Amino acid sequence: MADERLVPTVCPYCALGCGFYIKINEGGPMIEYMLDHPTNEGSLCAKGNASMEIINHPDRLRHPLKKTEAGWSRISWDEALATVAGKIGETVRDHGPDALGFLGSAKSTNEENYLFQKMARTLGSKNVDCCARRCHSPTIPAFKRALGASCMTNPISDLANSDCIFVIGSNFAENHPIVARWALRAKDRGAKIVVADPRITPTTWHADLHLQIKLGTDVALLNGMMNVIIDEGLWDRKFVADRTVGFEALVDKVAGYTPDKVSGIIGSTPEAIVRAARIYAGSDSSAIVYSMGITQHSHGTNNVTACADLALLTGQLGRSGAGLYPLRGQNNVQGACDMGVLADFYPGSVSVHDPRAVQLIEEAWGTGPLPMGMGMTAETMPVAAASGNLRFLYIIGEDLVNSDSSSSRGRRELESLDFMVVQDIFMTDTAEMADLVLPAAAWAEKEGTFTSSERRVQWSPKALDPPGEARSDLSTILDLARLLGLDFDYAGPEEVLAEIGRVVPSYAGISMARAEERGGVIWPCPFQDHPGTPILHQEGFTAPGGKARIVPVDYLPPAEEATLDYPLLLTTGREALHHNAGSMTRRSFSLMKRAPELFVEMNPLDADRWSIIADDLVEVETRRGAAWARARVTTRQEEGVIFMPFHFPETNMLTSDVIDPEARIPEFKVAACRIGSMKGVI
Amino acid sequence: MYLYVDIDRCIYCHACEIACERVHGESRISLEAVRDRACVPVLCHHCDPAPCAAVCSGGALTQGESSVIFEAEECTRCGLCIIACPFGAVYLGEADGLQKCDLCPEMEVPACVLTCPAEALVWGDGVERTGVLRRRAAGRVAQYYAESSGRDRISMPQGGAGYE
Repeated sequence: MADERLVPTVCPYCALGCGFYIKINEGGPMIEYMLDHPTNEGSLCAKGNASMEIINHPDRLRHPLKKTEAGWSRISWDEALATVAGKIGETVRDHGPDALGFLGSAKSTNEENYLFQKMARTLGSKNVDCCARRCHSPTIPAFKRALGASCMTNPISDLANSDCIFVIGSNFAENHPIVARWALRAKDRGAKIVVADPRITPTTWHADLHLQIKLGTDVALLNGMMNVIIDEGLWDRKFVADRTVGFEALVDKVAGYTPDKVSGIIGSTPEAIVRAARIYAGSDSSAIVYSMGITQHSHGTNNVTACADLALLTGQLGRSGAGLYPLRGQNNVQGACDMGVLADFYPGSVSVHDPRAVQLIEEAWGTGPLPMGMGMTAETMPVAAASGNLRFLYIIGEDLVNSDSSSSRGRRELESLDFMVVQDIFMTDTAEMADLVLPAAAWAEKEGTFTSSERRVQWSPKALDPPGEARSDLSTILDLARLLGLDFDYAGPEEVLAEIGRVVPSYAGISMARAEERGGVIWPCPFQDHPGTPILHQEGFTAPGGKARIVPVDYLPPAEEATLDYPLLLTTGREALHHNAGSMTRRSFSLMKRAPELFVEMNPLDADRWSIIADDLVEVETRRGAAWARARVTTRQEEGVIFMPFHFPETNMLTSDVIDPEARIPEFKVAACRIGSMKGVI
Repeated sequence: MYLYVDIDRCIYCHACEIACERVHGESRISLEAVRDRACVPVLCHHCDPAPCAAVCSGGALTQGESSVIFEAEECTRCGLCIIACPFGAVYLGEADGLQKCDLCPEMEVPACVLTCPAEALVWGDGVERTGVLRRRAAGRVAQYYAESSGRDRISMPQGGAGYE
């Protein structure tokens, strides 16, 4: 039988939304490049190329499993769902709905995420959140306050039209390689690439100017650049006057951030700060690209705010080539946020503190009063479990215990739960802790929409059948909701998408047919024939009064600094061959072959000081715990700072649990630490 | 048709390796980082005349029209080709013996070229491929010149430099 077909799909790894085909024939699923995709033009990174290794992996969960004293025991779906429904009922009866917690997945479709939070909130629980909490949660309040919309402003491909690309806290060459395609095309046109990063990375290789700043000093640099811009009159007077408020306060705030003073904080020369400011402000169109290096700090919201301030001050927004690019990490993290899988937002970025807006959702859903106020977040749920306030936790597609900072504590805390159910494609470390595990379909084994970092909503059709009895999250949620007596009557994802369009205004014009077109639709798409909105803020801002708000912020040092006991600083990040907590990439043969174990990068001077040579096993210890990693001795790393990727479980046993007061993201990027080699020299 | 490497563009992302491994079972291209400051994709340059074909006594490596052809059945695994190759591009694989780029004859454009996010791997006939590189280099030189001579930056339209 020569039944060969090509099914388009959206890459399951990072949030760029790259397209490719899955070729299905008797030889098994294969990748075919999609040359006409607007974001990636056929190209794929290493992980995208390896994505089929996940589909047929022997570790895939195939049946519902219940934890017994003798280990995992296979049960039927009927029994599994009845157990979950029973536990939800008991918990609500005995402890009220706020003892229920729901962690959605930035890997699930929009339709699945929408129904998951609808189920949780209809049950009366406000404890809904997802992994965006530890990735771009600072972007959400900071952008919402400054610009009115908490997302990337321009398409990735529009970077090719920028004259300056200012990269701060992103190593896109390794972590979002398709971004490099467009950035390098800009460079061909004469654009300047300016990178602020404490490390030398393949991204900084391509920089015209690299400011190797100290950890967590981003606000000082950004304020310093704004000081120069104001001092030299490089700001956009018309844009500031017509389209923003708050300029005067910014002038006062940044007056003290002279290049000389900032130089002492960030560790770059005053000349470099001046040059960066001139290039950014003086280019016809400049983009700011940032990622976890900005957000994962105890002052992450301030960091994002300062990025927005810089763009507003110079009018580098609302045009082709000029924009703000928060690069997101998971294939549907933007969608999960849009769908309201966040403790602070209902679908469509409706604040949980806004009674009038929530009332509209009540009307749309035909429910009684919905819960108001901030719910528990991904970070506070384990704490609440330990204190007995959270009794039941339902997690979809997330390895919480390996993603959380200070993860040993989180593990202990989750043990206090009465019941935990985990729905995933693999038996992750989090699933191992559950009472019940439900097997899920992977992305290509189900259909629905994913929203990429550039707000591109794309329909991903079903290409393959899930293994064993694994099911789509959608069908599991629908069956469970029916058991719980909820009126969830949907024939499939297409109907859910239609409801999303009625609740979330920016999705109103997005039908399955539109999302199925090559490249889908970029929201806001407020009505049926609307072409979508690749570039935001072209006319006005959705912030109050139609004007953007410049919010001056002060530099605050990271929560931990080097001390006599912990003389080094540990920072964390990604490497090219792995993805997030690694539950997929650590099961991918071709990737593991090349990146088999946890490593720690350190400067040769630090290696010498602690008698470490390359490839030694090194113990890294922070106030939270200790872990072993293989030494990489390299001048990529500045003296005094060591780096570990967070794709292996050990890294997050070390990271700090100090959180940003507003976004509640932990400071993954800075932890005081000490190191010693196996040889016992400390 | 030839495959050429623009080292100035490589981002050390490993996409080409995984793509090649996906197509051939084992990768025939390999990324070598140099002092953590640059990365060189190492692969067969299909030289003409090719030193590997010249030293191959068994007739496994032969000079084709625009590529060096390898026939595994003829290979005696003597290893002379590995020594002869000036680019380190012929090597013994983990499972399947000698590995060398075959330019993906079953595909219109080789997988590594299609997948390369940074467009560091360039495919075309001799004039085409070097033309892309020349235009990219010219763009850079023009910028450096403008900068060093205090002139305004030359802002080129998309496709003005380096792109078809």
